[in-house]
Amino acid sequence: MTATDTNNRSRNRALVDFVVLPSLFLTVALLGGLRIGAESRTFIFIAPPLVTLLLAVLLMLLLVRGGLLTFHQWVRGDLPPLTNLSHIWMFITIFFASAQAFNSVLPERGLLHWLFSFCFLWTLWNNQFSSFDARRLLRSLAILFGTAFVLKHMLLASLYSPEGGWFKRVAGTLLQGVALGTLDAPAFAPATGYIAFFALALYVAGLILLAFAGETGVITHPVVDEYRQLSAAERLAVREAILDDRRDQPLTSPADD
Amino acid sequence: MQSKLIQVAGLGFTIAYAAFIVWIYATEPRTFKEVTTSAEVAAGTYEINQEKFNSALSLFRREQFRAARDEWQRADPAQRDARTQFYIAYSFYREGWGRVYFDQELFKQGVEAVNRAIALSPATALTIDDPDLHMHTAAELKAELEQGLERSWSDVNPLKVLRTRK
Repeated sequence: MTATDTNNRSRNRALVDFVVLPSLFLTVALLGGLRIGAESRTFIFIAPPLVTLLLAVLLMLLLVRGGLLTFHQWVRGDLPPLTNLSHIWMFITIFFASAQAFNSVLPERGLLHWLFSFCFLWTLWNNQFSSFDARRLLRSLAILFGTAFVLKHMLLASLYSPEGGWFKRVAGTLLQGVALGTLDAPAFAPATGYIAFFALALYVAGLILLAFAGETGVITHPVVDEYRQLSAAERLAVREAILDDRRDQPLTSPADD
Repeated sequence: MQSKLIQVAGLGFTIAYAAFIVWIYATEPRTFKEVTTSAEVAAGTYEINQEKFNSALSLFRREQFRAARDEWQRADPAQRDARTQFYIAYSFYREGWGRVYFDQELFKQGVEAVNRAIALSPATALTIDDPDLHMHTAAELKAELEQGLERSWSDVNPLKVLRTRK
């Protein structure tokens, strides 16, 4: 590798870490709370509700556990203060992007808001105790946000659209006589769904970029990655099990064959 | 060195971008036009549309108060001009004034508008030199509007039909 290659790599890395990723996450923070009124066609900005901040905290913990955010590597005593500051700033942008990503797929009010919030809390809380690597975590998050997007912006939007969407007709036929008053939700213009889709796509793309930006170039076996995530006691148990397996194997030499 | 430059520029740009997002969520503009108006206000370059203001004033003088208010609202969409807000409050007063009773809803809106006018000129007392008006200061107008909202025994005085509109 020539000096020019090294320089280019370093410049590109700096561009991604300090410009592209924070800008991308801030765009998610901007678009996540944006809705378009169904009748007035005007902007409606919805600040992240408190529950989305809680969900974002859980998600950040999950990102750290999954190895997507390597906080201990990004903020260190031996790095220049400006670099540490930039990395802390990026974590802040990821936090608010996460909160707004949840905000974009949560119904705004009513029973459905709390139902969706509870589902997210349950999923994220359960995931805290699962073994994750960065790739599996990314796949899981893409599916989580994708499902919530389909539920809110396709099924529910169709149910509450003033014109009466396809789902409203199906639900009307299936639930004849059942009032949907308790599942009250505001109706937004179809553009809201496009904005939310764009925001979520940017968020997941940002996380993928973050995973690649964090790679040091050394490719390790998934088993090694999983081993690194174990506690000290669990690592000791694994090592002992490997050694026990070796002891149990009969000693053979080429001459025996 | 270049990496350091990118780092500083990136930090500066993204902090400015974050400040813009916070500002957007705080001001909650409803259209792109409102975004630009709010930006003009923040930058200190905001000016009212004088043509619309004058046309509203002529409507006001012809006692077409609602039309006048609409024009003034178009002249000052950000509600940042004390003089325009004073005239809006005055139009609420004149429309709501009645010989027998005052329209409480219009007077309430008048109080809101005059409060905006007062808030926009905190340094000096707002005075409007217009010979067609009987009240020239925001304080006078506010007192008149607030008096109209109060309930008292004088409301049943039959002589009040003789009072005059200012």
